[in-house]
Amino acid sequence: MSYEIVFKTEADMPLLPMSLGSTLYNKTGSWRYVRPIYRDKTSPCNHACPAGEDIVTYLAMVTEGQYEQARQTILQENPFPGVCGRVCAHPCESECNRAQLGGAIAIHSMERFLADLPAPRALPRLEQRDVPDARVAVIGSGPAGLSCAYQLVRSGYEVTVFEALPAVGGMLRVGIPSYRLPRDVLNAEIEGIVSLGIEIRTGMRFGEDLGFEDLTDYRAVFLAVGQQRSLRLNVPGEDASGVTPGVQFLRQVNLGQEITVGPTVAVIGGGNTAMDAARSALRLGASDVAVLYRRSRHEMPAIPDEVEEAEQEGIRLEFLTAPVEVLTENGRVRGLRCVRMRLGAPDESGRRRPEVIPGSDYTVDVDMVIPALGQEADLSFLGDRGQVERGRIAINEAGVMSRSPSGADRSPQGVFAGGDAATGFGTVAHAIGSGKRAALAIDRYLRGQALEGFPPLTAHLRVAPRDVDPTVVRFEDINLAYFAEEPRTVQRQRPAAERIKGFGEVNLGYSEGDALKEAERCFSCGVCNQCDTCWLFCPDVCIHRLDSGAPSAAPGRQAYEVDYDYCKGCGVCAEECPRAAIVMEEELKWRK
Amino acid sequence: MSYDVPDQELMTPGHVACPGCGAPMAVRYALKALGEDTVLIVVASCWSIIAGPFPYSAVKVPLLHSLFATGGSVASGVKAGLEARGLTDTTVMTLAGDGGTFDIGIQALSAAVERNEDFIYVCYDNEAYMNTGIQRSSATPWGAWTTTTPVAHPKSQPKKDMVAIMAAHRIPYTATATVAYPEDLMRKVKKAKDIRGSKFLHVLSPCPSGWKSEPGQTVYLSRLAVETCVFPLYEVEHGEEYRITVWPRQKEPAEKYLRLQGRFAHLEPQEIRRIQDNVDREWDKLVVKARASGQMIPQ
Amino acid sequence: MEKVIMGNHAVSYGVQLARAQVIAAYPITPQTQIVEILSEFCADGRLDAKFIKVESEHSVMAAVVGASMAGARAFTATSSHGLALMHEVLHWAAGGRLPIVMANVNRAMGPGWNVWTEQTDSLAQRDTGWMQFYCETNQEALDTVIQAFKIAEAVLLPVMIVLDAFVLSHTMEPVDIPDQAVVDGFLPLYEPEFKLDPGDPHAFYGLVTPDHYMELRYKMHQAMRDAVQATQRIGAQFGDVFGRPYDVVEKYRIEDADIVLVTSGSITSTARVVVDAWRANGHKVGLLKMRLFRPFPFEAVREALAGTRKVAVIDRNISQGHGGIFAAEVKSALYGASQQPVLFPFIIGLGGRDVTPESIHSILNHTQSHDMPAEESIWMEVKK
Repeated sequence: MSYEIVFKTEADMPLLPMSLGSTLYNKTGSWRYVRPIYRDKTSPCNHACPAGEDIVTYLAMVTEGQYEQARQTILQENPFPGVCGRVCAHPCESECNRAQLGGAIAIHSMERFLADLPAPRALPRLEQRDVPDARVAVIGSGPAGLSCAYQLVRSGYEVTVFEALPAVGGMLRVGIPSYRLPRDVLNAEIEGIVSLGIEIRTGMRFGEDLGFEDLTDYRAVFLAVGQQRSLRLNVPGEDASGVTPGVQFLRQVNLGQEITVGPTVAVIGGGNTAMDAARSALRLGASDVAVLYRRSRHEMPAIPDEVEEAEQEGIRLEFLTAPVEVLTENGRVRGLRCVRMRLGAPDESGRRRPEVIPGSDYTVDVDMVIPALGQEADLSFLGDRGQVERGRIAINEAGVMSRSPSGADRSPQGVFAGGDAATGFGTVAHAIGSGKRAALAIDRYLRGQALEGFPPLTAHLRVAPRDVDPTVVRFEDINLAYFAEEPRTVQRQRPAAERIKGFGEVNLGYSEGDALKEAERCFSCGVCNQCDTCWLFCPDVCIHRLDSGAPSAAPGRQAYEVDYDYCKGCGVCAEECPRAAIVMEEELKWRK
Repeated sequence: MSYDVPDQELMTPGHVACPGCGAPMAVRYALKALGEDTVLIVVASCWSIIAGPFPYSAVKVPLLHSLFATGGSVASGVKAGLEARGLTDTTVMTLAGDGGTFDIGIQALSAAVERNEDFIYVCYDNEAYMNTGIQRSSATPWGAWTTTTPVAHPKSQPKKDMVAIMAAHRIPYTATATVAYPEDLMRKVKKAKDIRGSKFLHVLSPCPSGWKSEPGQTVYLSRLAVETCVFPLYEVEHGEEYRITVWPRQKEPAEKYLRLQGRFAHLEPQEIRRIQDNVDREWDKLVVKARASGQMIPQ
Repeated sequence: MEKVIMGNHAVSYGVQLARAQVIAAYPITPQTQIVEILSEFCADGRLDAKFIKVESEHSVMAAVVGASMAGARAFTATSSHGLALMHEVLHWAAGGRLPIVMANVNRAMGPGWNVWTEQTDSLAQRDTGWMQFYCETNQEALDTVIQAFKIAEAVLLPVMIVLDAFVLSHTMEPVDIPDQAVVDGFLPLYEPEFKLDPGDPHAFYGLVTPDHYMELRYKMHQAMRDAVQATQRIGAQFGDVFGRPYDVVEKYRIEDADIVLVTSGSITSTARVVVDAWRANGHKVGLLKMRLFRPFPFEAVREALAGTRKVAVIDRNISQGHGGIFAAEVKSALYGASQQPVLFPFIIGLGGRDVTPESIHSILNHTQSHDMPAEESIWMEVKK
């Protein structure tokens, strides 16, 4: 519609100088040389999440009270929110920009809150067309295997999972104690995946009860066998009775087997397994549990929350010490000879290397020693197919197992691998992301498509990606004028004295009020959340709200429209956007 | 929506303000607060041009363009005329720049408010005669460059305290506002609308062209003006009760505000210190007045 | 109702009868009585109008412009320096096509201060686009106020009614003050087409580029042309209703005159007496009273003076560097006429110096005894 008013003669004109129309005739857009573009950038939490969750989106949904949609957003990428909301090391929180203004958003607690919602647990299916009629075998029912199986079955493939142990869940079941991950939570999430139509066959150890030759009906195989073997202490006396490797100890605890714990227990190591073992030993009746770690607190790989909870429960942490000999009597542990350590230069992990202080030997009396130095994979089943690098199955970016240069390739299937057995990341969230990557690759493989264009293994894939600029928004990009310092809400926890009496859940999670309050603190880094600031400040009234829709209505869909007929490119909107969701681009790029 | 702001737009795009100009922002917010039953009087100033040429208008309320010095006098006549026609609730708002308020228009303004005429006078202050090409006014701050106060001899008089002058008239309501705080501005306009008598609003309106600042930083500058206490946001009722309405979260050094504007680029450190001392002194005086008026302010 | 009142009060009554709705005024001798009595009328309700006591004449006209644009019938009065002070606003009112009525009491411009009658103040505003009426008597002042609102509202131009300081403003004359009901019948309430109306918002008086300005000025020019007929029409109507008809000029004993005096304002009354005396002595002299000065009534003037041999124009004003203003304008109206009279331009009575019958006798004598005017302007009674 043209707003221009043209007078042919003076008779057409009004009697006096008065307006007959609005200034809409004047397309001031012709003035600009830069223009604002709404372009969502990558939030640091999303960037950090190894499971590839769209955290910023589901937090926004929580602020709108749309909890089920928030949960569905997680479930697109990760079928284990209840698990992750309890055991994840939450690297998202470590990257969260809000950390510098009152504390990181408690995403971990938020995920658990959403997982625990009392609603029907129907997992979302994926609309896929022309799904090839194919069967996929997944070896291992840990988080990597089940994540892969989930993504494949919801796309329409037939999946069979083969699990060596009598119970399903891998490390989730046998590695993590129930005071961190209650069995009913784990069971419900596994059941949700299985009920989509997966066949699970337990008691089938790959390499013993079945091999590649038994899988000829399967066009693809995903190896997700994890790292089941504890690393040895490599000191004299380590095979005495009373020395139980951490993984084995925890498996016995979690499978409900009888165990005796000594009154005095020494756990060797600084990771989550060490913490789990120490805290489980305490609950089983040990009166004195100490964790011996050869580096300092700062270098401990365990999740800091776990360390804190362990200390609350009375577990002693002794740093810069390592055993050099297990002292035995009649073939049974009676003590440890240890040496003091000091920290030298960093090793290949980036952590400072511990050095023995000569002459610092000392002895402690212990009844039980639990080494928890880390795990390694048992890859003997591979034989001469596949390549092993640094104790893990070598894979490319698509998760395809690298073929061994020596062995002839006898398998007709595409062989993929992931999880702890293949990648070096070692966390539940990474395993879930790894399984998902494999599923995406397997889908392409089964359709006969090239397996190209997969990003490096350090990047986190998404099943339902949003079109965003890969630039990660950092704290200095946030416009602090719009935020006040507000402390984060910490989830409630049972008191230490009470909780060590058994294996009941330690953390109690969030109330709805807690969740809403915490979600409100989210900056929504790089992602427009319809705060209206751009609309409010545009001097030319040319930013319009597009109709309806809370942010959750369609995540990534634009909530505002710039009327480029009038936008002068002043840049006030981009400058004021609290969350760097607007960029200014050169106009010439856009002019035809 | 996260702002308590009416949706209705009474200003259209296509107006010819410079990119990033604070003046259309001020008017947009004022009109949102006042609504359609408003008559706007615009005296010679940037807004005479911003409003668009014949036969177009950038606002959806009646607008009377008027001579430079007549902000107070035309409004008095318009108000009387509307009342004679029975439109007793229609708001009359004069929009004038600092030139038309502090200088050429001060006589008519003073007379109108002395008579307690029932209108709202909004001065959008860009601190110089901007429409004619950046010449100094009595609202130009000390030390600023303008074309008539060049760098060799920048403005050597302090900014005239127009709010004090209005307060001295003991009018029902006087207030300062600025475009970075639209809700505060609108609340004040709305409050003014509900008072019978003379109301004066002094709105700091950054001018990228005249201040030599980035167009995109207009809101940021406006916010900094408040956070540095260079331009405090407060209201005065009946010339006696003072109330500070927006507190700086943290008092920033004036230099942070000055350094973003080319018109202050020539300032020496001792001049900046002088400006800072002045800002501090005036802020302290204002706090004393607010406290004396009963506002709860911790020591 | 007949009352003996001063010219200023006659204006006031006219304004009251015309039901002005907004009055803004600033006192200046010799206008003050106009506003004083209107102030009383407003205060005690005899006039339902808002009275704005502004602080200067510039603000007076600005306020009146505002009120008129808001749709109210607006009036003011001033004089001399007050009129000069509102000069830029006079342009705004006329270009704004506002039917404002203003009474100007003709008073000399200083320095030195001079409060007595002279026409230079109003004539110096002749280019502003205002209509101008010059009143001879207090009755005419009252009557013209009422007609002025009707003319102004018909052609949408502001109207200035001019009366002499002291000679009319402060001199008591018998004046018939018409009935309000009759005036209401003649002059209905003001219903403006263009006004500030939140229900139909427009912006008025914004920037007009060279593309459009000229046409708007052309429309003013057309309105000025129409105003001559409107003045005649409404003046005749006034005659029908009130018994006192008015025209743009008045011809007195002009039919066969050899010499015609051209006068305006209160000098006209004096001139009538002198004309009668000369006629009694057998001289064929006549009088053309200029009532409407803006728009200039070209046709009426040409028609009145056609065939006259000599014209003596009396100016109680001076445009320094040129001469008497009425003379210049009458001369320009006669330019190109087939039989042009010889025009004798006389300057007299500046600064309120009394113009007596003797003065006019001298003027007629000079005119009669000379074939041509001896100078560009003939200054009378200057002490040389």
